[in-house]
Amino acid sequence: MKDFALPDLGEGLTESEIVEWHVAVGDRVALNQPLADVETAKAIVQLPSPFEGVIGALYAEPGATVRVGAPIVGFESAAEPVADRAPADRTPSRSVERNPVLVGYGAPVDTGARPQRKRRVDHPVFVPARGAALSTPPVRKLAHDLGVDLSELHGSGEGGAVTREDVVAAGSGTASGDRRIPVRGVRKATAAAMVSSAFTAPHVTEFLTVDVTRSTELVSRLRDAGQRASLLAVVAKALCLAVRRNPTLNSRWEETEIVEFDAVHLGIAVATPRGLLVPVIRDAHTLALAELTDAIAALAATARAGETTPAALTGGTISISNVGVFGVDAGTPILNPGEAAILATGAVRRLPWEFEGGIALRDVMTLSLSFDHRLVDGEQAARFLTDIGRVLVDPATVLALV
Amino acid sequence: MTELTLSKAIGTGLRRALAEDDRVVLLGEDIGALGGVFRVTDGLQREFGHERVMDTPLAESGIIGMAVGLAFRGFRPVVEIQFDGFIYPGFDQIVAQVAKLHYRTAGAVRMPLTIRVPFGGGIGAVEHHSESPEAYFAHTAGLRVVACSSPQDAHSMIRQAIACDDPVLFFEPKRRYWSKGEVDEEYAFPLGSARVVTPGTDVTLLAYGPLVPTALDAAVAASDEGISIEVVDLRSLSPLDWGTIQASVAKTGRVVITHEASEFGGLGAELVSGITDRCFFSLEAPPQRVTGFDVPYPPARLEEHFLPDLDRILDAVDRVLGRANSLSGSTHAGWSA
Amino acid sequence: MSTTVSAESDMTSLEFEPVQLLDPSGARVADSHYDPLIADITDARLAALYEDLVIIRRIDTEATALQRQGELGLWPPLLGQEAAQVGSARALRADDFVFTSYRENGVAYCRGVRLPDLVRTWRGTAASGWNPYDVGMATPAVIIGAQTLHATGYALGCTKDGVDSVAVAYFGDGATSQGDVNEAMVFAASFHAPVVFFCQNNQWAISEPVGLQAVRPIADRAPGFGIPSVRVDGNDVLAVMAVTREALDRARSGGGPTFIEAVTYRMGPHTTSDDPSRYVDPVQREEWAGRDPLARVEAHLNLTPEEAAGIAARADEVAREFRAACTSLPDPEPLSVFDHVYAEPHSGVERQRRRYAAYLRGFES
Repeated sequence: MKDFALPDLGEGLTESEIVEWHVAVGDRVALNQPLADVETAKAIVQLPSPFEGVIGALYAEPGATVRVGAPIVGFESAAEPVADRAPADRTPSRSVERNPVLVGYGAPVDTGARPQRKRRVDHPVFVPARGAALSTPPVRKLAHDLGVDLSELHGSGEGGAVTREDVVAAGSGTASGDRRIPVRGVRKATAAAMVSSAFTAPHVTEFLTVDVTRSTELVSRLRDAGQRASLLAVVAKALCLAVRRNPTLNSRWEETEIVEFDAVHLGIAVATPRGLLVPVIRDAHTLALAELTDAIAALAATARAGETTPAALTGGTISISNVGVFGVDAGTPILNPGEAAILATGAVRRLPWEFEGGIALRDVMTLSLSFDHRLVDGEQAARFLTDIGRVLVDPATVLALV
Repeated sequence: MTELTLSKAIGTGLRRALAEDDRVVLLGEDIGALGGVFRVTDGLQREFGHERVMDTPLAESGIIGMAVGLAFRGFRPVVEIQFDGFIYPGFDQIVAQVAKLHYRTAGAVRMPLTIRVPFGGGIGAVEHHSESPEAYFAHTAGLRVVACSSPQDAHSMIRQAIACDDPVLFFEPKRRYWSKGEVDEEYAFPLGSARVVTPGTDVTLLAYGPLVPTALDAAVAASDEGISIEVVDLRSLSPLDWGTIQASVAKTGRVVITHEASEFGGLGAELVSGITDRCFFSLEAPPQRVTGFDVPYPPARLEEHFLPDLDRILDAVDRVLGRANSLSGSTHAGWSA
Repeated sequence: MSTTVSAESDMTSLEFEPVQLLDPSGARVADSHYDPLIADITDARLAALYEDLVIIRRIDTEATALQRQGELGLWPPLLGQEAAQVGSARALRADDFVFTSYRENGVAYCRGVRLPDLVRTWRGTAASGWNPYDVGMATPAVIIGAQTLHATGYALGCTKDGVDSVAVAYFGDGATSQGDVNEAMVFAASFHAPVVFFCQNNQWAISEPVGLQAVRPIADRAPGFGIPSVRVDGNDVLAVMAVTREALDRARSGGGPTFIEAVTYRMGPHTTSDDPSRYVDPVQREEWAGRDPLARVEAHLNLTPEEAAGIAARADEVAREFRAACTSLPDPEPLSVFDHVYAEPHSGVERQRRRYAAYLRGFES
C-alpha cells in the first residue's frame, strides 16, 4: 500500500479537517483527480491525487482533523507516471517535515531528536608547515619570560609543537621523572623567614641532656588525678620560670636597642600539612600548668586544621620546638625571626643513667638551645638551660624559683 | 510567562510597543490584512488601525525614505522589509540617510527607526529569500545591528530596539520563526549584550541568529565525546559585547565562530581580529570560522552544502582542540604560518 | 474604440476603457484601429492560440499539484493570466529578447523553453533553468522590477548594433512602485529605446490591492514619461496580440518605447503557499471568473468534440511530460555549489572548494 500524506496547504497550517471524500475504497482514480475537500483557516481546498491507481484505504473520516504529514489515503496499486529515467535520489531535506513558507519548501520542523555527528571514516593526520618553531602564544610568552630559545627545543607536542612542559623543562634542567613542586604559601613564607633569621642572627646552640623521670612521673600522677598535664607543658613552665632569672633570652635585637620583654609570649612550633607554623601562646608566664597544657593542645589542633589566624602567628618572644615527636634527640634549631632563643626538646628515651649512685633505666631527654649571640652570651644561655634542666630533673625545685 | 513561537513573540512585542507609545507606527508590504508573510504582524492592523499599521506600495527605497521623513516629524517608525534579499533597493536610504542624519545634524535630528528583516536560509527557497546581509550594516557607522535567536530574546529585543533612539537593524532568523519558547514580557536586558547560553570549559562557540540552535546542538553532540563547549549568543553585532566574548575566550583559550553569511568580510572576520588583539596570550589555537561559502546563496537542493551545520562546526572544534580532522592536511598552514 | 493614450489626450481615467476585440461571451468586438493588426488570425490560428492557452493552464495546474505533493518547492500560478502571456509572447520574433518576472511561465513556454528547463528553478535544483540565448528570454527575475532596466539596456544595445530586434519587459502592477521601473521608463524615453513595457495588472501584489500602488490606471503614468501607453483587456488574447504587435512595430521602426497595461486578474494565490482567503473579496473574484480568457475563445471557436478532445489530450500529454521532467530531475552534486561564481578563476573560491571536498571525503557515503 502506498500512502499519501496530508501536504502543506498554506502558511502556518499544521493540521486540517477532512470535509468530504470524493473517492471511496476500491475506486480507480486518475492523476490529479480530486480526492477530498479539506478545510484550511477559511477556505476549502481540494486535494489532487498524486498517483493514478486504486484507492486501498481512507485513513480519516469526514470531520476528522488530520495532522500535516499524516497519511490520509492509501493506494493499493499506484502506478507512478512513466518517467524517462529512474526517479531522482531524494535528498535528506526532502524527507524532513517542513513548516511551509510563501517562497519555497519551508523550514525544517524541529524533531527534538538528540543531535549527533555524522560518522567519519577518514581522519587525516595533521601535517605542520616548515619554518619557525611551532608553538602557541601562551607558550611563546612563557619562553620569552624564562629566556628560553624556542628554536633550540625539540617539541613533544603533536606535529613537533613545543609545549608548555617543554619550555619549563628547558628552563630548569629537570630530567624526566623529577617532580616539580611550586613554592607557594606557607612554605614560601617559612623559607623566607628562616633565611632572614639564619643570615641575620649569629646562631649558637648549647645542649643539655637530663633525667626527666620525675617530670614524666609527675605528669602521670597529675593525669591520674584528673588534671591536664603534659611533659611539653612542664618544659614550657620551666622555660617561663627560667626566663625570669635570665631575661636576655626573652629579648629582641633592634639594632640600636635591645628590648627585653616583660611577658613571655611562647611560640610552639607545629608541623602541619602546609608546613611549619609557630603559633603563639600569649602571656604564657601567667598560665598554670593545666592551662599551658590546654593552650598547647588547642594551638596545635588549630594549626593542623589550617585555622590559625595571622595574629596568632605574630608577637612571639621565645619559642619551643618539640623535635622529640619525630624521634630525634637533638638539633640546632633556627631562631624565629625577632626572637633571642629557641628551645628544642628531643625524644624521651629509656636509657641507663646515673641514679642514686647506681645505674638505672631512666627517662632521658636532650635539650637543645639555640640563641642569638648578639643578645645572649654563652654563660647566660648555659644558666638558662641548666635552670630548665634542674626543673625537669626535680620539679619540686620550682619552689625555690617562685 | 507564556509559551510563544518566535514570530508570535515579536508580534507581541510590537503590540506592546504600539500600545505604549502612540508615536510608534509600522510600515511594510502585506503587514496589514495579511498580517505579514510570516504572520508576525497578525492582528495588529485590526487592533490599532490603518493609521498605525500601514501597508505600503512595493518599494523598499520608498518605505525607508518615508520612514526617514516620519522620523523627522517625531514618529518612531518600525519598518518591515519582507525578505533579506529585498533590502538592497533601500540600501542607499539606510546607509546615506538613516545612518548619518544624527551625525550630520549634530544630534538635532534623531532616527529612532527599527528596520525588521527576516534573514538567513534553511527554508528551501528561491533566490533572494535566504540572504545574510548583516555585515554590510554592521560596517556602517551610525547603525546598531542585532539578531535574536529565541522567542524570549526576540520579544525583549524588539521592544528595546524600538525604544532605542538610534536606528536598529533588527534581524529575525526566519527559519526559527516556528520555534517555541517561554516568554516573560517583563524580562529585559541591555540591547548590546551577548549571552552565555550554555557554559563550558574547552571551546568557546560564538553564534547568532539562526545558528544559535545549531550551536547548541553541536554542544550536546560534543558532550557525548567529553568535550565541553561554551555557546555564546552574540545577540548584538554592532556593538559587539567584548566583555562577554573576551571572558569566554580567556577561559577556554579556543574559539570557533559560526555564521550563515559568506566567510570573506563577514562578522567572523571582525570577531577573529578582536579576539586576536584582546586574547592573544590566551589562545591555544588560531580562531576558526564556520560560515557560508563565498558563493551566491545556492538553490534549495544545494543549501545544505552551504549552511554551517553541526558536523562542520564540530570539525572546526576538532581543529582548535588539535584533534585529527579533515582540514588539517596539506592545505592547512599550521600554527606558525 | 481606439484608446491609445497620448500625452495630449484629455481622456479621464474613468472613461479609459481597455482595448477589447473578443468579449467574455466570445463575441468579436470591432475596433477599426486594431482589427487590421490581427487580420491574419484565422480560426485555425486562433485555435492554435487556444491550444496554447489550454496547455499553459494545464502546466500551471500540474505544477500546483506537484507543489502540493512536495515535488516542487514553489510555484507562482498564472491562473487567469494565460491570454496576457500567450497573446503577447506569440507576437514576438525569435530575435526579440524578453525579460520577465517569476510568473511568466506561459511566456517561457511560448518562447520554446523546454519542460525540464521550466521546472528547474522551482524544484530548487538550479538557480535558473535555461540559457537565455537559446530562447531569447532571460531567466526569471525574482527581485521585483529589476528586469525593466535590463530590458531597456538591452534595447539600447540593439540600437547600437543597428538591428530592429525589440526588448520586452514583463512585470506586474506592484512592480510599478519600484524605483527601477520608473527609472527604466526615464531611460527608455531619454534614449528612445526599442523596448516594450508589458505590465500585467493582475490587481494584486501578494495581499496588496492595486489601489495601494496606483491611484489612477497604471497606463496613465507612461505618458508622463513621454512614452505612449495603451490599456488592454488582458484576458482577451486577440486584443493583447494586437496591441503588442503595434508596440513592436513602433519599436522596430524607430518609434521608441511603448507601455502596455494588460488588465487581468490573479485567480490563484501569489504562490502555492499563500492563502488569499485572508484578503480577497470572493465576489470580486467571481466577477473575474466570468471573464475567463479560455472560455471566451472556446465559445468563439465553437470547436467540435473531436477538436476539443484532441486539444485536451495534447494538454494532458504535456502535463505528463512536465511531471516526468520534474520528478526525474537529479539533485545537484554537492561541490557544484562552487561552480560558475566567476567567469575567471578565483583563488578564494577554489580554496573553499578544495577544503570542502576534503571535508566531505571524511564521511561514510
